[in-house]
Amino acid sequence: MAAVSSDFKPKERVVGDPIEIPQIACGAMAESKPFVAKADHNEKLGFPGELVEDWHDKAIFRLGELLENNRALRVYLDSCVKCGACTDKCHYFMGTGDPKNMPVARQDLLRKVYRRHFTWAGKVVPWLVGAEDLTKEVLDDWYSYFHQCSQCRRCSVFCPYGIDTAEISMAARDIMDTIGVGQKYCNEIIGKVFNIGNNLGLPPKALKNTLEGLEEEIEEETGVPVKLPLDVQGADILLVTPSADFFASPHMEGLIGYAKVLHEAGVSWTLSTYASEAANFGMFVGSQENMQKVAQRIAKAARDLGVKRLVFGECGHAWRVAYSFLDTLAGPFDFLDPNYPVPQHICEFTNDLIEKGKLRFDRSKNDEFRLTFHDSCNVARASRMGDKPGGQFEIPRAILRATCNHFFDMAPETIHEKTLCCGGGGGLLTDELMDVRVKGAQPRMRALKEVADEHGVTHMAAICAICKAQFSKILPQYGFEMDGIVSVHQMVSNAILLTGSTQAEEFDAQHRPADATA
Amino acid sequence: MSTMTAYEINGLVAEHDEEGYLKDIGQWTPELAELIAKSEQIDMTPDHWEVVNFLREYYEEYQIAPAVRILVKEMTKKFGKEKGDQKALYALFPYGPAKQACKIAGLPKPTGCV
Amino acid sequence: MLTAIFAILFYLAAAILLVGLALRIRLYAKTPAPLKIPTTPAPITRGGVVLRMAREVTLFESLFKSNKWTWAFGWVFHVSLAVVLFRHLRYFLQPVPEIVAIMQPVGVLAGFSMVAGLLALWGRRLVVERVRYITGPSDHLMLALLVMIGISGLSMKFVAHTDIVAVKAFFLGLMYFDWKPLPSDINLLVHLSLVLTLMIVFPFSKLLHAPGVFFSPTRNQADDSRERRYAPRGLLKPQAKA
Repeated sequence: MAAVSSDFKPKERVVGDPIEIPQIACGAMAESKPFVAKADHNEKLGFPGELVEDWHDKAIFRLGELLENNRALRVYLDSCVKCGACTDKCHYFMGTGDPKNMPVARQDLLRKVYRRHFTWAGKVVPWLVGAEDLTKEVLDDWYSYFHQCSQCRRCSVFCPYGIDTAEISMAARDIMDTIGVGQKYCNEIIGKVFNIGNNLGLPPKALKNTLEGLEEEIEEETGVPVKLPLDVQGADILLVTPSADFFASPHMEGLIGYAKVLHEAGVSWTLSTYASEAANFGMFVGSQENMQKVAQRIAKAARDLGVKRLVFGECGHAWRVAYSFLDTLAGPFDFLDPNYPVPQHICEFTNDLIEKGKLRFDRSKNDEFRLTFHDSCNVARASRMGDKPGGQFEIPRAILRATCNHFFDMAPETIHEKTLCCGGGGGLLTDELMDVRVKGAQPRMRALKEVADEHGVTHMAAICAICKAQFSKILPQYGFEMDGIVSVHQMVSNAILLTGSTQAEEFDAQHRPADATA
Repeated sequence: MSTMTAYEINGLVAEHDEEGYLKDIGQWTPELAELIAKSEQIDMTPDHWEVVNFLREYYEEYQIAPAVRILVKEMTKKFGKEKGDQKALYALFPYGPAKQACKIAGLPKPTGCV
Repeated sequence: MLTAIFAILFYLAAAILLVGLALRIRLYAKTPAPLKIPTTPAPITRGGVVLRMAREVTLFESLFKSNKWTWAFGWVFHVSLAVVLFRHLRYFLQPVPEIVAIMQPVGVLAGFSMVAGLLALWGRRLVVERVRYITGPSDHLMLALLVMIGISGLSMKFVAHTDIVAVKAFFLGLMYFDWKPLPSDINLLVHLSLVLTLMIVFPFSKLLHAPGVFFSPTRNQADDSRERRYAPRGLLKPQAKA
């Protein structure tokens, strides 16, 4: 594991303005690089195993192909006027001060090569317009800095032309994969999805065992036989959730919450071994082909199982792919019930039931939690929940307010569309990038510290597997408790009063005497 | 991160990846586990061995390491509530019972959003 | 001779500007947008998108969210430029429409605020460390060009008067292919030369942000992917029916 550089002391830096602009430190993060993928990782995805001999020409050719097939890339490479609006908006810049982590400077790493090869000015007067050849040094820079972008789109909120650095980053990673320079973490994981069905590499037998174990636990706790069905033909709902929900904490506590809600709703539902993964790292590596292959597994599972509805668990970028891309990549989904949104987020599902008064909660069960909510970037800036723009902010908060007595939002410049990445998104959630992950989390940690000091906030809820995993590693570094990160549906799970459960009986018993004496 | 590419013990050379996970899990021996643990600054105690042995048993059956929750449940059974909770496991394996204990147990690293 | 040179240059520059921009716009338009990527929260209807884009190009909404100084300087510059351009219609229209006539005094003021806005933006490039880092030679040159266009234009009003009746005759002559002599005042020639330069570099420079913003998928797409299937034709390989 790469250590956090010794001059960065998270605990000393946790107090301060969350979005403080740092001093510029040139080259500070040049050495931050993820492990390079092995040949078999790359080849499974259809990429060359290692750096190809004519990599320069291949890279330029691939850039040309991408330009022809992606309007965003073409327009964004042309349109930047270097106004500086984005320069102080990236959490990795705020945490590291490395100027190449300013969104415009990150884009310029690709833009300078674009100009050199695809614009008249860059061919004739390269020095004037900042055009440069793609050298080995430039390629190294790409590998470093395009893996210090979590594709969170915060910069795109502030750009007067809507330039989205995520699009540039994805293109650069696609080009690198095309010439054989893949990133181990993402490519190995995508290969596991193709082979086994999920990022984790969790085989069906283990999944079945895990789910049965959870069923036992829930029944022990509540006295209600809540099921977590797997591969049930003809179920109404297919629940697709990140495989981290079958493995890590606090993810699994969220899964228990979904199961309880689905049980209480009285619907028939199932998980799928074939589509036992909501995440789609094909997006992170910018490979539309791989993203589509992963997405099609979900469509196939839905078809094969004959379900009528598709519901997604708590996973940020998965929700982006599901909400914004799934129909395009793997649709049409005309075989599903048109009376429900395709797809639907578990938070929408739960919130609908809450609004209809179909769920009962004992909020005092969550009294040990003084909560805040971390908006995950891909949910906040690349998707929606509910009928209205911004529903993605309101619905998870509505669930938390329905299940907890103590909820406090963090500073307005750090939530909703201006939310800050956890520091581990976009394919950076790998141990060797711990340094940049810790530094990139600084703005969020400061915002959390403010509400911790002001309102005694003890826990932060999230609806993204990456955020949850990242924070459980990062929180202790900044002096918080490791389990200070919770799932939204964990709060639901704690407070829900399942019909016929011991909790419901207790609750009713406590509240009955008052009625009886009246 | 260790700079070597293989563990060497008693004439055995066991290759590992960039992060120290064994390339061939068949090469694992208890002695090798002690060596890997040492490179992680961990002195193996009986409690450590309980965890490592359970991971290996689970892996043999399911071809993957158990979820943290499953591990906690098992260790609670073995050690009782106090020594078996998640915090106690982190005390044994500071970089996470899943990842660090897997490394020592010779198992592949769990991947994904974990 | 001078008249002929400038006349030909203006035809040439206008052709480069119009053809260059048209080609670029055609390229943007025909390049597919494979996926829905609006930056959310985004409008969920086309009408909403039109409003979002209108706010973006008239009020610089996103820039306002980012940085109030850059927004103020940039907005003052762009609005002033628009007023100045409007004022210049009097050289191309005969008779001069009333609204153009009324706007003349405002147009003069806008000339000053335009230059002031540009100088302030330039100042940011020199003073703010982050912006200095991302500024290249072409960024300085572009500002220099615009500032000098502004100053040379103002100089004809406030320093050395130019025979604007003759200037108007020259431009009307250009438009009707009946060339009239161009006055040879140095500040006029400088002004026109710089404008020619700007017209020529426009389609090859970052000034492409002007058409670009309208083609920006994060801004011009509606957030309706669940309501309406988004399936741009011919982009994705046919789905494997496994």
